[in-house]
Amino acid sequence: MPKPLLNIVTKEVKEMMRDPRILLGMVLAPLIIFPLMGFALRTSTEAMQESLRIVPIAVADFDHEIVAQSLTSFLKSVPNVKVEEMEAQSVDEVAVKAQASNVTSVVIIPEGFSNNITTGEKAQLKVYGVFRSGGIGESLTFSAAQSLVEIFRQNLINATVSTGFPDNPNVLDPLAISQESIIKGRPVDVNPSALYSFTQAQAFSLPLALFMLIILAMQLASTSVATEKEEKTLETLMSLPLNRFTLLVGKLAGSTLVAAIGAVATIVGVIYYMGSFAFGTPTQASIDLAAIGLAPSLLSYVILGVSVFVALLSALALAVVISVFAEDVRGAQSLLGFVYMPLLIPMFALMFTDLNTLPFGFQILLLALPFTHPMLAARATITGDYLMPVLGIGYVAVFTLVILYIAARLFATEKILTAKIRLGRKKPKEE
Amino acid sequence: MSVAIESVDLVKVFGSIRALDKLTFSVDEGRIYGLIGPNGAGKTTTLRIISTLILPTGGSVRVFGHDVVHEAAEVRKLITYLPEEAGAYKNLSGYEYLQFMGGFNSRDTADLKQMVEDAARISGLGDRLKDRVKGYSKGMKRRLLVARALMNKPKLAVLDEPTSGLDVLHAYHVREIIKQYAKEHKVTILLSSHNMLEVEQLCDQVALVNKGRIIVEGTPSELKSKHKAANLEEVFVEVAGLA
Repeated sequence: MPKPLLNIVTKEVKEMMRDPRILLGMVLAPLIIFPLMGFALRTSTEAMQESLRIVPIAVADFDHEIVAQSLTSFLKSVPNVKVEEMEAQSVDEVAVKAQASNVTSVVIIPEGFSNNITTGEKAQLKVYGVFRSGGIGESLTFSAAQSLVEIFRQNLINATVSTGFPDNPNVLDPLAISQESIIKGRPVDVNPSALYSFTQAQAFSLPLALFMLIILAMQLASTSVATEKEEKTLETLMSLPLNRFTLLVGKLAGSTLVAAIGAVATIVGVIYYMGSFAFGTPTQASIDLAAIGLAPSLLSYVILGVSVFVALLSALALAVVISVFAEDVRGAQSLLGFVYMPLLIPMFALMFTDLNTLPFGFQILLLALPFTHPMLAARATITGDYLMPVLGIGYVAVFTLVILYIAARLFATEKILTAKIRLGRKKPKEE
Repeated sequence: MSVAIESVDLVKVFGSIRALDKLTFSVDEGRIYGLIGPNGAGKTTTLRIISTLILPTGGSVRVFGHDVVHEAAEVRKLITYLPEEAGAYKNLSGYEYLQFMGGFNSRDTADLKQMVEDAARISGLGDRLKDRVKGYSKGMKRRLLVARALMNKPKLAVLDEPTSGLDVLHAYHVREIIKQYAKEHKVTILLSSHNMLEVEQLCDQVALVNKGRIIVEGTPSELKSKHKAANLEEVFVEVAGLA
């Protein structure tokens, strides 16, 4: 690396890494906040699971006949269920007792319940949720009670139908349905739902990581230029025997390095955070991508890496161009806020749908944005269709060169010192 | 003695404002030349054009024979520029700042080391140079920046309000540095100032600037005797009132 460039990159990295706002906000905070969020979620999830270990259900039987007794016995037979038989004269009395106890659901079997079922009439059964805090634990235990009643209903249907067709063992399950996938023109014994949930998890995590990386890098690059303007160090730098393109490249390289450190910290934090949910989705890990022909190749990773790198460069160059028009750091952040949201938000459309299913105009808009292309490259790691990502790299490279050219022109002229977009503030006097 | 700066009919227009209006002056090598004038007179604009930061709308400036527009890279090798109220990188130490800035002018490591040692001596900051700049007072920061502007013995140092906002002691120290360094190393100094006393003490030649033009020029003693004034402040009030 040439000496002046090395000098600038070293200074940039030192300055940024020693800035407590950058160190705390971009490196330490993700390493602390995401694991803390994960810990909080894991703790609450464990508490929810704990609350499901025993499902307390009250049964108020006003019928006392055979089917009603059978329902109570069924509920008692379920291992995690603790049944409290409630004696009362009215539903109102049941409600008072239930609220005072620790049950979360009450099953009320009205008088005539068994008689209606045995005579073919529609029988009423009421399942009450006992509302206390409205928390997830309450909701889950009520759902468990509801499911048990539903199982009892299905058992009643099964018993009735089986009695009508004693010679047909398949009457209750006449269809054997299997769910498999076709991948790259080949039938594969993998449940499509499991495959979709795996690919969708990927489709969510990459845009989020990319979004954070790009925002970080843009903020760093614009702050780097705006701070120089605010502190008037830029004027000093520009009067030095230093090629201004070298100054621009040095700033971009310094911001990229620090953004990469921030991104690694963020990704480590996010991985830990995502790991907090892993125990709930074992199907994702059970898919052997190599066996079903979906394992990403080395080439696909190279394409993805290049695609992310050129998109990142374009973001940095854009941030530098934008910050040229700001007078100070606050102004640069405000200007950036106007720009990066419209640039980045459309790419989230690709989280939910494929590009070719979108209206033509929206497809063109997405393809014109540089940050869409790394997402297409990420999808290509699974599909193996590299044409679009490679064309995308070419497009983003040209886009970046154009922005870099504009940035270099701005750095080479007095525009870097005189160009200003004021956001409602007064113009200072020129001496 | 050669000519360090030669400005001829210099014009600069910002939108509807004519900041410089055919400003003409020249500075001989090794002299300390002061531009004085009210706010908005065009002093900073002149210094920024000479330092190759902004382009003139008309006219020309040559620094040691090099045109500031067409030979900007050559000019930058000969000059240093100290902007008014300039800052330093607050998360670097004083030493790191000097090493960073010196890195662009030094030929090799030994040269850089010598420059930093010179700057440390000029600044008079001693061990405080090991501290980060964010802990410096305004005066300490200015001493560091003046030392930076002189550390590589430039042929021309352009100093915009070198003692602006400093207390008496710091201002005195900075003036002494400039005077001594210019004499020792024959560095040409072009400075702007509001402080008439400072200009009178420091400058060999003075130009009073108003509305983008030089309205009077000469040595401090010439100007005082011509206008029968006790000091430059009285000269300034008289000629600015007439302009």
